[in-house]
Amino acid sequence: MKPVKNKSIIPGFGLSFGLTITILSLVVLLPLCSLVVFTLKLTPSEFLYTITRPRVLSGYRVSILTALAASLVNAVMGLVMAWVLVRYEFPGKKIIDGIIELPFALPTAVAGISLTHLTTTNGWVGKIFYERFGIRIAYTRLGITIALIFIGIPFVVRSVQPVLEKVDLQYEEAAMILGADRRTTFLRVIFPEILPSLISGFTLAFARSIGEYGSVVFIAGNTPYETEIAPLLIMSELQEFDYTAATSIALVMLAIAFVILSVNAVLQSIVSRRVSGLA
Amino acid sequence: MNEKNGYVELRNINKSYGDFQASRDINISISRGKLAALLGPSGSGKTTILRMIAGLEHPDSGQILIDGKVVNDVPGSERGIGFVFQSYALFRYMTVFENIAFGLRVKKVPEERIRDKVDELLRLIGCEGLEKRYPSQLSGGQRQRVAFARALAPDPQILLLDEPFAAIDAKVRLELRTWLREMISRIGITSIFVTHDQDEAIEVADEIIVTNRGRVEQAGTPTELYARPATPFVARFIGNSVPVANYGSFRFFEDAGEDSLGIVRPEFISIFKKGESVQFAKSAEEGTVEDIIFRGSSLEIRVRIHGNVLSALRSFNDPEIRVGEKVDVFLHRMFIIRGDEVYPALNQSLRTESVFL
Amino acid sequence: MKLRNNSGPAKWILILLVSIFLAVFLILPLVYILMTALGRGLGVYRAAVTDPYAVKALLLTLRATLWAVAVNTLFGIAAAWCLTKYAFRGKKIISTLIDLPVTVSPIIAGLIYVLTFGRQSFLYPILDSRGIQIIFAVPGIILATIFVTFPFISRELIPVLTAQGTDEEEAAALMGAGTWTIFRRVTFPHIKWALLYGIVLCTARAMGEFGAVSVLSGHLRGKTNTLPLYIELLYQGYDFTGAFAASSLLVIMAVIVLILRIFLEHRGKKELDLHK
Repeated sequence: MKPVKNKSIIPGFGLSFGLTITILSLVVLLPLCSLVVFTLKLTPSEFLYTITRPRVLSGYRVSILTALAASLVNAVMGLVMAWVLVRYEFPGKKIIDGIIELPFALPTAVAGISLTHLTTTNGWVGKIFYERFGIRIAYTRLGITIALIFIGIPFVVRSVQPVLEKVDLQYEEAAMILGADRRTTFLRVIFPEILPSLISGFTLAFARSIGEYGSVVFIAGNTPYETEIAPLLIMSELQEFDYTAATSIALVMLAIAFVILSVNAVLQSIVSRRVSGLA
Repeated sequence: MNEKNGYVELRNINKSYGDFQASRDINISISRGKLAALLGPSGSGKTTILRMIAGLEHPDSGQILIDGKVVNDVPGSERGIGFVFQSYALFRYMTVFENIAFGLRVKKVPEERIRDKVDELLRLIGCEGLEKRYPSQLSGGQRQRVAFARALAPDPQILLLDEPFAAIDAKVRLELRTWLREMISRIGITSIFVTHDQDEAIEVADEIIVTNRGRVEQAGTPTELYARPATPFVARFIGNSVPVANYGSFRFFEDAGEDSLGIVRPEFISIFKKGESVQFAKSAEEGTVEDIIFRGSSLEIRVRIHGNVLSALRSFNDPEIRVGEKVDVFLHRMFIIRGDEVYPALNQSLRTESVFL
Repeated sequence: MKLRNNSGPAKWILILLVSIFLAVFLILPLVYILMTALGRGLGVYRAAVTDPYAVKALLLTLRATLWAVAVNTLFGIAAAWCLTKYAFRGKKIISTLIDLPVTVSPIIAGLIYVLTFGRQSFLYPILDSRGIQIIFAVPGIILATIFVTFPFISRELIPVLTAQGTDEEEAAALMGAGTWTIFRRVTFPHIKWALLYGIVLCTARAMGEFGAVSVLSGHLRGKTNTLPLYIELLYQGYDFTGAFAASSLLVIMAVIVLILRIFLEHRGKKELDLHK
């Protein structure tokens, strides 16, 4: 390998580059290489056998469906929250703005047990839903979705908020002077501006939700074929020291995450090309 | 030391960034104590040259010499250079005092001498009493002066300035130009500054190096560049030049053939009311005034003649001219560009005695 | 400005909707934890949080957090400096690799460490012969914590340093200043608040990490249980008061983090405005 040289007048390249590469190698590259090495040792038949087991397929399905549902709810609510925080002045705005970060700060396991207890059939919230409407929340897919909504709240808001702040009020005023009503103004003028950030917030929340474990594992109840999520399947294989199966399941999940993030990247480039008029 | 050699010299310098060639075979020589300007449009490679002299960039080939010694492998900090950045690069989290003192502290100069030196520089730049302020609390002009003082504090042999007036309001800019010129001549330090503004270069510099597309087009005194442009680019770039394709249709000028172009500057033209001039009465041609623009100290008359719109200047003391008026236009001379050549062409009537009859 | 105020009832309906949503999803769980923790009286609460196993779990959590903060601070500063102050090939790859840990599931993070240091790894015999155990032991927990919080500090510093540019460092270097002087006197003042902010985020995430640590911990009570794992253990043993009492410690931590976050953001902005 060619040694990386740098002729910048600013000293310290060797030191900072060396530290960066060393720590990066130990913490990220080495484990990643182990994963690759281990993957290469898997035989295709083992791999296919594991990932096509009905229980595993059902795990993927549960993970994807609940993550999708939760992220859609968060996309809508995130947009509303961003709108309220950027466009309106009202008492307590600062508090709301601060609280939105709570899911980042609160340990997922703590959120998990709290949400579970609240939504069991004799919990504060679960009781109301069960006795009035006959709906169970905890230990169902609905419960998983609730937990995933909790952890995904900040993603869309924090993605849309800064963009919305930059949308110039003059655009809207121009549209309104031209006779557009409020709805048209929003749909034709503002929405296209914030769409890329909405998509990227949604995909980030989606990717995070699919891999989520701590907050979901308590509320899920983990009934096979019903409420068993993919990360839990990996966990159970690990507890049985079946690394082959665990790795196979994990590889598919990594592929799913990769696809989600790539789709986002493609969408972003399409949208930004349209905005800059190169399409 | 050989008299012929410059104090700062660049020999056959080439430099590329990826596919973009920023410097092509650059040769420059600047004498000791001179104030030189690197003048060119943006992207012409002038800043790259300055940064290479400072050691902020490194040429792909060629030599950089300072005081007769090749300094290619000498780090920028040991080349005896003071550098004033375009955006000043003042240390935003240090006071004015600490900014100016920084280079001295790095050199471990005793505290007492630092204090004296900084005080002296603050007096020099007229910023006494500002030493405790942060850069954000200064005006644009003050920031520039502080950047100048900071660069001078370690007593450099060469002062380099990258677009020193670019970030300043038009009015303050004029003041600062004069100030900087005086400062530099008082200190007597060899200085090189980069600018895209020809007025700035002509007014401030002893010597101008015109760059274009990574090459040096011409180097010389402002007068030389002005009177004897060596390349078509310089002829068109300096002065408010207007290209005239059909210059052969002007009387007393001969067409040099295809692919040639006449270059006319406002000061090459005289405009008279009909009958105003006796001297040029016969050799002048008729034009129509299209527009009159107030230029503060004079009037710019835009006149249509032979299908071209030329600009000329007229004093407020001259008889008034109105838009639409037919006027006498006399073209004293122009530059002719043919291929890579440029040569001056004089109105031939000025050579024949008949004009004076 | 007219547009802002001219919003009528829609404004208040939307604000109400947001308030109810956040109250149900965020505030309620928080309040519930505190109420359940204190539900059987202060005495029970005190006993639960001073239980020797709880204290040991807390200490282990703090230890892992300290490591994560130390390593990621060193890494974050070096990486941010290196990526923003110099031009070189491979920057994109490095920054992708830095962000990688937060995009993979914590369980998968745990898994790849098991594959790296577990019995089937080529490293295992080397480490084992020296008596070093990584997975199902404290080092594994620390490594997992470093991994899941890996980009937290560099990600805060990189935008600040990018916006600041390299002019000031170049100016200092031209005057002959060395690495340490440039960093301490020129660069550090710019990143001070962003660094603190990153450390706060890193601390929060490190203390709360559950999935990856869960994979790598041997679940040995008093030995390899972090606070979140200890909470899981209590919860599964139906000791809800204990679980919620221990949780309340982490809730308090989360609230402190949120307040610090707002404070640091505010201070950072103020300082930035002052030196713009």
